[in-house]
Amino acid sequence: MAQPILMPKLGQSDEVAPIVKWRKRIGETVNKGDILFEIETEKAVLEVESFFAGRLIKIVVPAGQAAPVNATVAFLGKPGEKAPEVAAAAAHPVVEHGAGGRHGGRPSRVENKDYALSSGGSGSVPTVAAPLAATAVPLKPGRLLISPRARALASASCIDPAGIAGSGPDGRIVEKDVRAHLEARGYDKLRISPAAKALAAQQKVDILSVTGTGEGGRIMTEDIQRALAERPKPLTLMRQTIARRLTQSVVTTPHFYVTVSVDMGDLLKLRQEAKARGSDYSVTDFILAACIMALQEAPEVNSSTDGQSVRWHASVHLGLATSRPDGLVVPVIRDAQKLTLAELHQAAKALAARARDGKLLPEELSGSTFTVSNMGMLNVENFTAIINPGESAILAVSSTLPTPVARDGNVVVRPIMKITLASDHRLVDGAMAARFVNAIKTKLEDVSLWTRSI
Amino acid sequence: MPNHLNDLRPDFTKRKISCGSIPAYRFEATLADELAARHITKREAVNLLEDMLIVREFEEMIVKLRSGAYPACAGFEYRGPTHVSIGQEACSVGACSGIAAEDYITSTHRGHGDSVAKGCVAIRQMNAAALRSRVPDATGTPGEICEAALEDHIFRTAAELFGKEDGYCKGRGGSMHIADFSVGHLGANAIVGGGVPIATGAAWACRYLRNGRVAVSFAGDGAYSNGVVLESLNWAAQHQFTNMLAKGHSYGLPMIFAIQNNHYGMTGRADNEVAGVEFLARRAAGFDDRNMHAEVVNGMDVLAVREAMQRAAALCREGRGPCLLELSTYRYYGHSLSDPRNEYRTREEETAWKEVDPLERYTREIVAARALTRKGVEALVEKVQARNARAAARAAKALEPKPADVLKYLYSDLTSAVVPAEFQKVEIVREKPAITRTNGQLTYRDALKEALLEEMLRDNRVVVYGEDVAEYGGAFKVTKGLLEAFGRERIFNSPISEAAICSTAVGSAMLGLRPVIELMYMDFALMSGDAIGNQAAKWHYMSGAKAEIAMVIRASVGGGKGYGGQHSQTLESVFAHIPGLYVVYPATPRDAKGLLKTAIRDNNPILFVESQLLYMTKGEVPEDPEFTIPLGLAEVKREGKDISFVVWGPALQDALKAADELAGDGVEAEVVDLRSLIPLDMATVLRSVRKTGKVVVGSQCVTTGSFMGEVIANIQHDAFDALDAPIQRVGARDTIAPQSHVLESAFLPNAADFVAAARAIL
Ligand SMILES: Cc1ncc(C[n+]2csc(CCOP(=O)(O)OP(=O)(O)O)c2C)c(N)n1
Ligand SMILES: [Mg+2]
Repeated sequence: MAQPILMPKLGQSDEVAPIVKWRKRIGETVNKGDILFEIETEKAVLEVESFFAGRLIKIVVPAGQAAPVNATVAFLGKPGEKAPEVAAAAAHPVVEHGAGGRHGGRPSRVENKDYALSSGGSGSVPTVAAPLAATAVPLKPGRLLISPRARALASASCIDPAGIAGSGPDGRIVEKDVRAHLEARGYDKLRISPAAKALAAQQKVDILSVTGTGEGGRIMTEDIQRALAERPKPLTLMRQTIARRLTQSVVTTPHFYVTVSVDMGDLLKLRQEAKARGSDYSVTDFILAACIMALQEAPEVNSSTDGQSVRWHASVHLGLATSRPDGLVVPVIRDAQKLTLAELHQAAKALAARARDGKLLPEELSGSTFTVSNMGMLNVENFTAIINPGESAILAVSSTLPTPVARDGNVVVRPIMKITLASDHRLVDGAMAARFVNAIKTKLEDVSLWTRSI
Repeated sequence: MPNHLNDLRPDFTKRKISCGSIPAYRFEATLADELAARHITKREAVNLLEDMLIVREFEEMIVKLRSGAYPACAGFEYRGPTHVSIGQEACSVGACSGIAAEDYITSTHRGHGDSVAKGCVAIRQMNAAALRSRVPDATGTPGEICEAALEDHIFRTAAELFGKEDGYCKGRGGSMHIADFSVGHLGANAIVGGGVPIATGAAWACRYLRNGRVAVSFAGDGAYSNGVVLESLNWAAQHQFTNMLAKGHSYGLPMIFAIQNNHYGMTGRADNEVAGVEFLARRAAGFDDRNMHAEVVNGMDVLAVREAMQRAAALCREGRGPCLLELSTYRYYGHSLSDPRNEYRTREEETAWKEVDPLERYTREIVAARALTRKGVEALVEKVQARNARAAARAAKALEPKPADVLKYLYSDLTSAVVPAEFQKVEIVREKPAITRTNGQLTYRDALKEALLEEMLRDNRVVVYGEDVAEYGGAFKVTKGLLEAFGRERIFNSPISEAAICSTAVGSAMLGLRPVIELMYMDFALMSGDAIGNQAAKWHYMSGAKAEIAMVIRASVGGGKGYGGQHSQTLESVFAHIPGLYVVYPATPRDAKGLLKTAIRDNNPILFVESQLLYMTKGEVPEDPEFTIPLGLAEVKREGKDISFVVWGPALQDALKAADELAGDGVEAEVVDLRSLIPLDMATVLRSVRKTGKVVVGSQCVTTGSFMGEVIANIQHDAFDALDAPIQRVGARDTIAPQSHVLESAFLPNAADFVAAARAIL
């Protein structure tokens, strides 16, 4: 019996996950624990290991397609074994909303007691009542109403018919509309190199939208390439998630901001000394540790609300906003309050590395109670951050810059780092926020706090 | 004078009508008597036993195959019918031995015995050349070559049952449709009664060809309740074949109706249940003043059957046919092996019939007559078993047909392009009808008549019949004058038997004639549903291309003249749905002539549709007798670039009118006339669609389920990207043709409908 391989439920909200890559080919031997394939969740690309040994005899859901959780995506078996037939319909999502579609144009005749009555007036073979009537079913959203002939003409002309006004029934674009459009836009006078036209045809670039830079306005290959580069591309799943979550936050959470300047001089000196002794802490480690301490002192800030109730969290699960080439993830250090500075350092380092490689596990990507966004290494003076949904505040950490400051009546140059707390005004008021950022500032400026830990 | 004017006077004289008497079981001789009287030779006597043994062994094989108990075919799975005739061997063997090798038979769903016997009898009479053509690789003495041919016969029969390429019909026919035209076997028939009118048509062809042959239809008691069988009895007995109408050729149909009365249909009892006569032989009295020389014969006695058959065949050859023999016999097994029999008859009855088993009885006689010893009989049984087993084993292992060849043999590629000299001899009995052109123009009616006239002059195998086609010239006068030209042998009035009209044409076509038959109204084609759909359409394919069914069915459409629901139908779509038929529908006089001539010369069965609305239309028609139009070639009747009307039949006129009207709007409509639905010329249609991008498909067919949908399906499939608008249909409304003029106008499509359909998408 062939062993079915199911789509695991890896993310929190993912009911359907796309397979981005198969790591085994058909016929390849699979050992228990081998990586079989990669799936993309909202937050990361995850590797899926095999629980079984055998040979990969069939891939039901190929790379590039998505499947619902628990759906069979492949089969392992013995060499030569035949995999059972699985409806490729398990693959997702290919729902067609076309009018009538594969059910055929003409609804079938049904038993109808009122047959004589209902057909009396129409004079035609009775058909199933309205709902199935082809025109009643709306077209798939975004589908252009255009005749096959007009579409063929548009594509042969390398133009996009989307904007053309249709004069046919229901506004369908018909051949003469396309011809009128071509004429109105001076298509006849358009000059284009054969290579450019071939590329445009292949890549479906509307040549009417391209400005030619060749001699006498002739459209050249480079012009098509430029148009291609500007063409909108779909957001990755990760960017879509970011867009959704941060928009939700901005729209539902009343943000306000409090900024303080932290004099990092003493701490940096301490860090240098420690480094010389062989213990290598980053500035971030101290900032995180300071936040953890401050949060334990101010449970109001380590809380969340749904707008109806507030929940104070007993533990600090610290989110670290981490950038990746393709977006942003927030890995979480769980029960951060229990960690020593050294442990914190290790945990942060490991998470950052895994985040960069896209190898975070789903549980490492959710459940934070407070987030730190650190742009210290990016040379910024100050910035504000957007609160992670489900938290009450986020701390934006800017670069430490030599800054003239007044000290004991003199202007001196000190390494100053600005930190800005964004707070959810539903949970945190101005005074509370001020106290909280100042608590962090105080801790970072008070080296005596740290000498014990390092 | 071919024309005959009746002069019937009233005569109500009191009298009694005698129905005569029908002898039963008159044969009482034994084999010893027959040998002594030299009615049979010893060799022939032994052959009768051998053939009955072959038949029984063959059918017992089928029974055993179903339970894997036939060792020669171990592991072979037989899928197919199991209608065995075990118990009836004397009927098949006795009858086939009583007629000549070149005589014809048709058989039934229970026809293994008939097929095996006809072949064995014919093979034993074959000369060396004929045998060699059957078994080219066989060597040895003439006796050994004959043995090889017999074994080959069993092999080909079994191979056909097993659906193999080596079968008599290349595996296309199988058990219920097996045929071997080379020995005069015109086919078993899975339609109960279906073979009877075919044999009747063959008998008519024998009469026409004067070949001295006889046709025998084997059919069961059940079949003798079927309409087409009763039509055949009437057909065969028509006075016109023997009375003054027959002129110099008074010759009754050489037709023998052999009723294999095994007393059961599937399970329905002839006796005491579904028939009103004790002896089915009585049927003969209902149709023929001479009772068709009917007799009831002991069908369990091979000698009795043979003797009766010999006398009947002799009568037929004297021109005194038809004859009818009721052979009383018994089927030991059920209708098929899935029938346990105990629901409708007793075991005691079965035992009683087995006590008169034809093989046991004849074995006793053959030993008593010293034609064979007991030992000799045993040796014969062993020889038959071994031979059958070898043939069956070979058949089980024979090559399957290739899946890619599933359509092979559906249509014939042959035509009568060259008419053999013997068929070119045509006698004009009085005068040819005058067909005159005015300004080079003929009516559609005269164009058809000219085609018939020319083709009948060209080839005497072309014969015409139908209701009222002779003196009267047909209900619509298309054949008027042909009787005067060719006489009643080539054109005659048929009884009002649409099924028999069409099925007898199949039988005569099987013998090489080229009948052109007329159905007065296309509505009546539904009376011939079996003849057209199951017989004409299928025999070329089912026989593995052994049969050529060169026939034309002219059917006239009455729509548009207020004749109501049963005289107005446009049914070509129904027939276009049946593979094996060609369907042609000309819409102009020129096409009518050109296409009818081609249809008559083509070897496929063709439904040739004519419209009564068109008979009076005029147009130019070439006079050249070699002018023909190929089938399957649509014609652009008007060129245009903006929209295509794809039509056939009278809808052409409407489309042309619509095109005129649209021209006023500056729209140039193109009109394509399909002219034939099968074969269908999509290339011409697609060319037009690619040009215009807009299509209206139209005909007078009721819209739903019509062939218009088929044309549309092809267009969208092959020219999807050429379409600029949804394809429109203009057909008759989905209802029954009403009588009321007002309603019929609403029912039929017209030019305005075409204009409206076009405007909707222009
Ligand atoms: C037209 C038609 N109706 C019904 C059947 C189904 N059928 C097959 S055999 C049979 C009985 C035929 O009886 P009979 O003609 O006496 O032949 P027998 O089977 O007894 O040899 C029937 C009803 C059929 N094949 N064809
Ligand atoms: Mg019967």
